[in-house]
Amino acid sequence: MMSSERRPSMAERRPSIMGPLSPHVEHRGSNLMVPHLAGLEDPLPDSTPGNVDVVIVGTGLVESILAAALSWQGSNVLHIDANTYYGDSSATLTIDQLKQWVQDVNSDKMKFYENAKLHVSGAIRNGKYSSRDFGIDLSPKILFAKSDLLSILVKSRVHQYLEFQSLSSFHTFENDSFEKLTNTKQEIFTDPSLPLMTKRNLMKFIKFVLDWESQTEIWASYAEAPIATFLVEKFKLDKAQVYELIFSIGLCYNIDVKTPEALQRIRRYLISFDVYGPFPVLYSKYGGPGELSQGFCRSAAVAGATYRLNLKFISYDPITKMALFSDGSKVSVTEKVVVAPTQSSDNSMNVPEQKYEVQRLTCVVEKPCTEWFAEGENASVVVFPPDSLKSGNKQAVQALVMGSGSDICPKGTSVWYLSTTQSGPRGELDLDAALEALEESIIRESSADLENDENILQVGSNGHFVLNSVKLGQSFKEYIPREKLQFLMKLYYKQFTSTPPFEVVDPSIFDLNSTDDDRLIPGASDNAVLYTSPPSAEISYDEAITAAKVLFQRIVGSDDDFFDIDFEDEDDTEKLNESAITDDENMNMTLDTGMSVEPVEFAGEMEI
Amino acid sequence: MLQFKLVLLGDSSVGKSSIVHRFVKDSFDEFRESTIGAAFLSQTIKLEKQDDVTIKFEIWDTAGQERYKSLAPMYYRNANAALIVYDITQPDSLAKAQSWVDELKNKVGDQDLVICLVGNKLDLCEEDPQKRVVDTEDAQRYASEQGLLFQEVSAKTGAGVTDIFQTIGEKLYVQKKNSQQAASQTRNTVNVELQRPSTNDSTSCCS
Repeated sequence: MMSSERRPSMAERRPSIMGPLSPHVEHRGSNLMVPHLAGLEDPLPDSTPGNVDVVIVGTGLVESILAAALSWQGSNVLHIDANTYYGDSSATLTIDQLKQWVQDVNSDKMKFYENAKLHVSGAIRNGKYSSRDFGIDLSPKILFAKSDLLSILVKSRVHQYLEFQSLSSFHTFENDSFEKLTNTKQEIFTDPSLPLMTKRNLMKFIKFVLDWESQTEIWASYAEAPIATFLVEKFKLDKAQVYELIFSIGLCYNIDVKTPEALQRIRRYLISFDVYGPFPVLYSKYGGPGELSQGFCRSAAVAGATYRLNLKFISYDPITKMALFSDGSKVSVTEKVVVAPTQSSDNSMNVPEQKYEVQRLTCVVEKPCTEWFAEGENASVVVFPPDSLKSGNKQAVQALVMGSGSDICPKGTSVWYLSTTQSGPRGELDLDAALEALEESIIRESSADLENDENILQVGSNGHFVLNSVKLGQSFKEYIPREKLQFLMKLYYKQFTSTPPFEVVDPSIFDLNSTDDDRLIPGASDNAVLYTSPPSAEISYDEAITAAKVLFQRIVGSDDDFFDIDFEDEDDTEKLNESAITDDENMNMTLDTGMSVEPVEFAGEMEI
Repeated sequence: MLQFKLVLLGDSSVGKSSIVHRFVKDSFDEFRESTIGAAFLSQTIKLEKQDDVTIKFEIWDTAGQERYKSLAPMYYRNANAALIVYDITQPDSLAKAQSWVDELKNKVGDQDLVICLVGNKLDLCEEDPQKRVVDTEDAQRYASEQGLLFQEVSAKTGAGVTDIFQTIGEKLYVQKKNSQQAASQTRNTVNVELQRPSTNDSTSCCS
């Protein structure tokens, strides 16, 4: 166990200057153990380390954040993954990697996944597109502009490895059509379809929710009640707004969400708006959590962590403190072995129950789907609230649609990520129904005779053509599609996690396997191992930092040093000055110039 | 200013980092600690053969992730140039460098990638010519066959180091100039810079 004394942070233990070209700053055996800055000081020794503070198994997002946090704190980390790629259950995969992954799931080599079905079109097999043109996320996520992960990304400078784009289009599927979200105060004020009374109630609610926590008197009696009841009784909101608030803004999964949880989620959206521009959410280019995992792993490596892919964890013995790996190597561990349940060892007997189910359907379609994106953007979120689909869905289905501008798929295509918390065979029916709705909609919206239909396509004030979704919805019913949507890839799978769809992580699962308890199971290969939790159904990254922090605290004793790093900002000011120049090159523009809100664009869409 | 991403490749202990050190340190009196935390090292140079052209290298070191062939796709992505480093005093060194070239070409499909093969530890051979095990001609021949730039250097004395970056910079600049003339910029999506939140405050207008 770690001593109760606070371990000096990385910065404190470093000599203040770099010194000569090859500063031998590692004093093995002495008290002053300066973590090696890989690649910036000497070349590392060639052998596997024989002794580390922490072994982390699995390079999923939470594990990677933890690895970086521990490495910068000064712990010596060995981070391995059984796969040949980074990311584990957060990975971003090519089509070829997906094929292998599906095989592994169906042959039980990939734990806590089930029932993977993959269809890949001939267009990918025969070379029109190549496998590498695609970066498909196993658990796609969106990043709120005001969130703990975003702060850590900036603080750790991991954001410099990544590129981010904005997402402002949130659609709710209702009455067979997509309603664009009325999400800004300006839009609420200018929306002609909203009665004055509704506007007033909505504004009242928004004002409240931004500071809801301190106003317990308003919601205390609803603490155990569903949010819908609260919104209707307290704020007199209509069904349309209630649904938008719960499902599009709050991104909740069903109608029974309790008031405080839902308020928290609605607030998350509203406070994120306008932080970087007129949008609440960002995503990373080239892939989501898979990219972020790689970024945090690189950061950990810079701070001295050792990385080995394609290496399995075999066992850990808490008495001898030795961890064994598939290549026969072993390492002595001073602190802890942390394992992702997906990469647990054979004969493991301490893996926490993974009882929550997430069902996913990921498709690549041969359509750019720009109809669904705001101008200059490449992604949107579409929510199918309960009971909005032909299947009579009980849980919401959430879809994240990403176009080729996000660089996860080639030009002319887009990726649709659908997911639901509905368990059992029902889940797949719901996903299929949502897919069908998306398919019908995109064929209708992108069809050629749309241009001749003046009722649907109108010229906006800026001269652009603008879709009128209400009329579009009505015309759905009469429309018979002439073309079929080409699916380049279709992938179904079921995933399990110990994290419920709402609460972030349950810290108590990390209480299992503590060495202090006499709970060692004879014959188990994973006694005293600390297990992480696989990604939940949550569409945002909100759980990741919390989970990493709890684990960090379990290992280090406190979370005071969790990314307690402060790089001097000289670099940043230099960057700022240069950006004025690079803007001319059109390489590095800031958003305030490139984005504009067009509140008129979707006017008249909200049906009250 | 033009900015280019340059990645380092090669086996451990061939002196990849030392080369970068030499390059970056030569122009900075003091190697500041803050740079360590930076995601990568940056160095700006003036091109000697061009009037008034400065370019900035964003140099990505392997951070040790090459040891078990655990470099992430992120490392290679959008690289404009690569230094493939080998040790002229190590027998298998050139062969290993060649496999890194294959690996790189496999990972990065881009034709425009400027690759420079770099034989390090020239100083050891100048002290004692017996120490050289990789002939300059062999490496040179391989480099021309593959269309790579080639240079032998000493990170220790600095010999040849700035030349590498000048040559690469020159080639990148010419490429960029030509491609800009050929095709107009098609990119219309702007990235969000996380370090620069907008001044608007979402809460301001309704409180």
